[in-house]
Amino acid sequence: MRKKTRALSGASQEAFFRRVLRAHPGLSPEERDALLRKLRSEVAQVRVRVEPRAEGEAAAIIGKTAAPPEPPAKVIQSVPPPPAPTPAPFDPYSPNVVVVVRKGGREAALAALDSIDSVDNLRHLAREQRLSIGEEPVTAADVRAAIVTAAERRIANRMAAAT
Amino acid sequence: MTQFLAMSNRKGGVGKSTISVMLAHAAASWGKRRVLLMDLDTQCNASLMLVGGEGWEKASRAGHTIADYFYDRFEKVAEDESTYVLANIGDVSHGRFFGGRVSLLPGSQRLEDIQNELFVMQSSKRELHADAVAVQVRGRMKRLMKHFGMDFDLVIMDCPPGLSFAALAALDLADHIVVPFRPDFVSQFAMDRVAMLIERVETGEQLASIPFGERRYSCLPNGLKGDGAERMLLEQLALDHPLLKTSLPALDSIARAFDWDETRKSMEQKYADALPHLRALHDEVFGVAQLRAKSA
Repeated sequence: MRKKTRALSGASQEAFFRRVLRAHPGLSPEERDALLRKLRSEVAQVRVRVEPRAEGEAAAIIGKTAAPPEPPAKVIQSVPPPPAPTPAPFDPYSPNVVVVVRKGGREAALAALDSIDSVDNLRHLAREQRLSIGEEPVTAADVRAAIVTAAERRIANRMAAAT
Repeated sequence: MTQFLAMSNRKGGVGKSTISVMLAHAAASWGKRRVLLMDLDTQCNASLMLVGGEGWEKASRAGHTIADYFYDRFEKVAEDESTYVLANIGDVSHGRFFGGRVSLLPGSQRLEDIQNELFVMQSSKRELHADAVAVQVRGRMKRLMKHFGMDFDLVIMDCPPGLSFAALAALDLADHIVVPFRPDFVSQFAMDRVAMLIERVETGEQLASIPFGERRYSCLPNGLKGDGAERMLLEQLALDHPLLKTSLPALDSIARAFDWDETRKSMEQKYADALPHLRALHDEVFGVAQLRAKSA
């Protein structure tokens, strides 16, 4: 029986990369972030193989909800072999969270921070952008939320001073 | 027609005096303008940069400073304006036949005291509310400054960090205002406040409703080191304020240019590797100011 394939690009492609990289516990969060950035900038589209009986499963891969332990899909085209893990230096000023919140609101800022997986990098970003997040948030999702809340406080603080 | 340019920021140490002097030299040398630098700052840094300590002290003892000018005029002492001016000063040679030159109305440490004195003097003359007297004093200073500048092509007013009557009068009078700033955390608060003062609004929302193209001021990033923190702050400030495209990096040549030296030199000798930045600043500031003056 001929196997079906499905093209992924944009957000679904990024979700796919993320899952593939997460399936390699040997990679540090920093290395994962660096590889993700590299793949995002160099790959326009991937085509993944979908087994006929596993189509529902494939849909879950493409979506963001399920988190299978190993990716059942295989890349058959376009994806270059992952470069040697020489992580590009993390830029703690990107995204500029205050600017993103001002322009697009909380959700846009959370989405912009979503590509940073490492809690250490998120904390580094918060420190450099003078966004006070305290010690409580532990998971990446919590740290992201705390960063955005701190940016909102920062904006409100400045508005108050200018009244 | 005289063009009035104010250099202002309520925060100190952002380079107002340095940039005032640099632009005065540039406008005289490249724009061939007769430039008057009006030193409204009681620190008198621009005066010291242009005539040195002895030159400034001599003018001060002779009663030829901006404070004396205001006091004399309020007292109706009829000295000619030229009495107070130190003409053709500074250590840059503008060339005998080029027409451009820099003159100075020297600053005075007594300017703040004299403003208070003038306020009290005016209050005692009429039965007016303090606010009305303040408006009157400010208005009179504005007229005097305008009158003083009439013999020049360009008047650069180096404003003090505080909100003295003279500083407010300068902001009222200016065709355009350059707000130099260092990109640090507190700068954004200072910029918001000076912008609201210039545009005569009371809230950030009111300020935001004025399109950048209609604002009377432009902000000049100064002393940049080129790091990510600066880039981040500039992006944030650019959401609320019109920033000039030109910025001035932190250069030793700029700091060294203002060690007082009696020897006249060329712009190239004085400003060295800062020269291209100054050229860009000159072209942009006078381009923007010209544009605003025409549209006003």
